[in-house]
Amino acid sequence: MRAFGYTVAESPADAVRIAAGTPNSAFVAGGTDLLNLMRDGAQSHDHLVDLNHLDLARIDMDATTLRIGALARMRQVAEHPEVRREFPVLSQALLASASPQVRVMAAIGGNLLQRTRCGYFRDAGSACNKRVPGSGCPAISGHNRGHAILGGSEHCIATHPSDLAVALTALDATVHLLGPDGGRAVPVADFHLLPGSTPQRETVLRQGELITRVDVPRTRAATRSRYLKLRDRASFEFAVVSVAAALRLDGRTVGDVRLAFGGVGTRPWRDTGVEAALRGRELTEAAVSAAGRVLVRDAVPRDGNGFKVELVQRALVSVLGELGGVR
Amino acid sequence: MTGLVGRGVERVDGRAKVTGAARYAADNAVNGVLHGALVMSTVARGEITELDTSAALASPGVVAVYTHENMLPLTVPPDFPYPKRFIPLQDTRIHHNGQPVAYVVAETLEQAQEAATLVRVRYRVAPPTALLADALDEAFLPRDFRGRPNETVRGDAAAALERAEVRVEQEYTSPMQHHNPIEPHTTTAVWDGDSLTLYESAQGVVLTRMVVAQAFAKYVLEQDIRVVSPYLGGGFGAKGPTWSHTLLTAAAARLARGPVKLVLTRAQMYTMNGHRAEYRRGLRLGATRQGRLTAIVDTSTAQLTRTEESIYNTSNSTLHLYACPNVHVRQLGVRLDLPTSSYMRSPETTAHFGLETALDELSYEVGLDPVELRVRNHLPAGPPASKYLLECYRMGAKAFGWARRDPRPGVTRVGDEYVGWGMATETHTYNAIPSFAELTIDEAGRATLRVASQEIGTGTYTVLTQVVADGLGMPLDHVTTLLGDTAFPAAAISAGSSTMPSVVGPVSTAARNARDAVVAIAVADPRSPLHGVPAADVVAEHGQLFVRGDRRRRDSYRDVVRRHGQAVVVNGSGPNTPGHSFGAVFVEVRVRPRLGAVRVSRVVAAYDPGRVLNHRTAHGQVIGGVTWGIGFALMEHTVVDRNTARVVNPTLSTYLVPVCADTPSVESYFVDRPDPASKPALGARGFGETPGTGVPAAISNAIFHATGRRLRDVPFTQDKLL
Ligand SMILES: Cc1cc2nc3c(=O)[nH]c(=O)nc-3n(C[C@H](O)[C@H](O)[C@H](O)COP(=O)(O)OP(=O)(O)OC[C@H]3O[C@@H](n4cnc5c(N)ncnc54)[C@H](O)[C@@H]3O)c2cc1C
Ligand code: SF4
Repeated sequence: MRAFGYTVAESPADAVRIAAGTPNSAFVAGGTDLLNLMRDGAQSHDHLVDLNHLDLARIDMDATTLRIGALARMRQVAEHPEVRREFPVLSQALLASASPQVRVMAAIGGNLLQRTRCGYFRDAGSACNKRVPGSGCPAISGHNRGHAILGGSEHCIATHPSDLAVALTALDATVHLLGPDGGRAVPVADFHLLPGSTPQRETVLRQGELITRVDVPRTRAATRSRYLKLRDRASFEFAVVSVAAALRLDGRTVGDVRLAFGGVGTRPWRDTGVEAALRGRELTEAAVSAAGRVLVRDAVPRDGNGFKVELVQRALVSVLGELGGVR
Repeated sequence: MTGLVGRGVERVDGRAKVTGAARYAADNAVNGVLHGALVMSTVARGEITELDTSAALASPGVVAVYTHENMLPLTVPPDFPYPKRFIPLQDTRIHHNGQPVAYVVAETLEQAQEAATLVRVRYRVAPPTALLADALDEAFLPRDFRGRPNETVRGDAAAALERAEVRVEQEYTSPMQHHNPIEPHTTTAVWDGDSLTLYESAQGVVLTRMVVAQAFAKYVLEQDIRVVSPYLGGGFGAKGPTWSHTLLTAAAARLARGPVKLVLTRAQMYTMNGHRAEYRRGLRLGATRQGRLTAIVDTSTAQLTRTEESIYNTSNSTLHLYACPNVHVRQLGVRLDLPTSSYMRSPETTAHFGLETALDELSYEVGLDPVELRVRNHLPAGPPASKYLLECYRMGAKAFGWARRDPRPGVTRVGDEYVGWGMATETHTYNAIPSFAELTIDEAGRATLRVASQEIGTGTYTVLTQVVADGLGMPLDHVTTLLGDTAFPAAAISAGSSTMPSVVGPVSTAARNARDAVVAIAVADPRSPLHGVPAADVVAEHGQLFVRGDRRRRDSYRDVVRRHGQAVVVNGSGPNTPGHSFGAVFVEVRVRPRLGAVRVSRVVAAYDPGRVLNHRTAHGQVIGGVTWGIGFALMEHTVVDRNTARVVNPTLSTYLVPVCADTPSVESYFVDRPDPASKPALGARGFGETPGTGVPAAISNAIFHATGRRLRDVPFTQDKLL
């Protein structure tokens, strides 16, 4: 870690102004990811702008929308009664994330911007296109058990690690941003980028742009939603494969279904083709299996992660089975 | 005796530990201490061609940057316990990824760390070999290690296998694993002229002093080195040997002419201080249809390096646990471009996993209950030693409810989970190392024990305090135990399950000697109420000395020593012999086969560790051992990149160890009968490494029972069960 400057922002506009005007600066919220990256030498900044005093931690819900301030902590959102009632998948995704200690510190904005857990990325002594563009991707020919089978490129196959982002993607959430040129709103599904040939660019955020809030529309499907996370230990571990599912059944027929997947894609993975394969059909194991095959039709498995092709399909069967009462 | 030994006495150091009063090695505040930071190689094999320290030297607060060009020349210590067999910063060669290439010394830790990122190194690189699979054809039989051969032949195993009615022939494999104690390795080196004090996190202060003396033979005498290590935040074998960071820090402090402190980063702990070597084991068992073993052919291959050839994953249980007339063990190795391996947490687990899994396979081949199969192959101990392993099987099976087990795999379901029950024998060797103790009884009537043993978290302070209190007939809180300092009488390294068998003898002898000395003073002193009483008639209890049969005629330690006018100081020794401890572990797993998910839902274990000195610390050891056994079976795995031979997951967030949610509560039972072969240690054997040795196999066996799928390659992650 290197010495860096530090400013506490007084207002969102203040934060944006300082960050936009200070080269190689970064915002810091809970610091649970940023500081680890800086300590490990995977990321380095000359200046940090502390967001923790901003009035952006509120959680409100009205008739149509849940609004989560970017500085709301993971725990606050997970335990919020309305979130638990109206959006079980959000609460479950958060409670399945990290540890109680991390969830007390970590904020929603920081969660969406946490960086990949690819070991090569986090090791300053390894090559990595995401960390040092053009240096190569050792994961492709090396250890890639945790890596993506969907959305990768020859430059990077790292997964996005956030569980929350997967749930928000399933729920059609919108990310609100404030930049030097004013505010804008981006659907969460468009917020993260595919790696392509620029894996160092992970989101649509511009220098100095701040996440202020995440909006989640209320739907009937959301009230019947679930997060299934498969991982290598029972707690305090990222997903090998995860599924966020929201389902509205009309009798036995799928009225509405929203699905997003973690651990398999280079960004929180939504494939509307999978949902289309289910919508309007009877919810049977055969139908879900067929939809699962749509999901993995373009999968590119590597030496270590081929099992995810099968596992994610089984996870889908399992979670929709539980949500829909079929086994 | 007041009978403290055996009781589940609470930890005497518990309060100090939970309140932060206990000072661990890096907590020592040394005046004017400078801080070290290491620069590590990013290639695995080759040579340094260029090393530029100018930017680091220009960085604020930097005192010096040591490299092969200006480091103090040191002597490579001849053998174990310096496993590495080379000292970094002495030449340009690179032997593994993550080898120190520069040592930065600065006024603050942050300055040292920042400067370390500014050192520029260029290498001439040779392609490394990182995995056993890539060099199996280079396997060879290494020379004897610590006086033990890597090949052992008993009877004619090949012929017996050929003739066997039933055979099981399989391969069992495990990856590289790391110890991962919570407290990182740390050294603070303080020179005072030509004498050296090291504040270390060391499992063996005496051996550390020896290794440092060998390395610094040109500069300092062994008797002028002091190593201090009163507490460890875990070691698991990683702090048993002495590693290069200790030597480099002492050298840096000498050159910098000021005390230097170094704390390894977590990532550095994946290349600096040993690991469990990647391991493959071909096992061929021959047996009769009744399940009696007739042959074991055991050929293993472990990772070695190009600088040494020491095998730590030994096949001891193949040789010693069961009655089998024909055994052929070969422990081969392959040289890879990796850091040096070493002993890690119950090193015999590595091999034992294969044996106990193969026995389960045999039990299905011959249609015998796995416990019954083991009973049929029971090997009684040679006199005078005891071995109550059959009792362990009975106790464990009863408590677990084993008799209700339907042996057919894949038939028991609860909800969407399949339930499986598996078991295995647990066993580990323990060592006994000559040790000495000194006991002082002062004029306040308080006893102070000094012994250069260590507290590695297992309860050494507590148990030795119990032994002293009992031996003297004194209340527990009148006894203070001081450990972890070479200024005290030499004692065993706290590794190889050797602490109790080695140290309890000298300590109890010292206590007896001290009691006798005080009694002798009392009965000879006309001022004592005990004057003239035959010494044999004096009884000590609660710090008081009585005449047997006449409790009113009494004196006390305090009064006797006070009248005597000076503290009574005595010594004790009590050599012991090595041996084995035993147990049986029973495990229940729940498996969701569709998702490949396994969880351990119940563990019951029964042990024969000889006499139990403290039930609470013994149970604690069982919890720890079983938890690590779950880690070994289900998650632990150091990932090494095949192309760069670099560790990919050197952090606690990527190297998984079990958390509470993975670990059910563990029931433990003890036979608790003294072993006559360990008489000096009051009948207690070494036990530290026994719990957990059977857990990986028991889990594998339980998964088979749950699903009909036999797993032979740890860790058993989801992908392997799909
Ligand atoms: C051991 C461990 C295990 C974990 N396990 C999981 C898990 O299972 N699942 C999971 O989803 N997560 C997991 N996490 C990740 C954790 O959720 C993230 O570290 C956390 O959410 C980051 O939030 P933070 O507030 O601490 O962000 P910080 O570390 O403060 O910031 C992270 C990034 O976001 C930027 N940033 C923060 N807030 C804003 C904002 N409002 N606008 C613009 N930029 C912003 C920062 O500049 C930085 O780049 C784990 C973390 C750890 C340490
Ligand atoms: S997968 Fe991406 S993050 Fe990982 S090494 Fe390759 S480029 Fe870097």
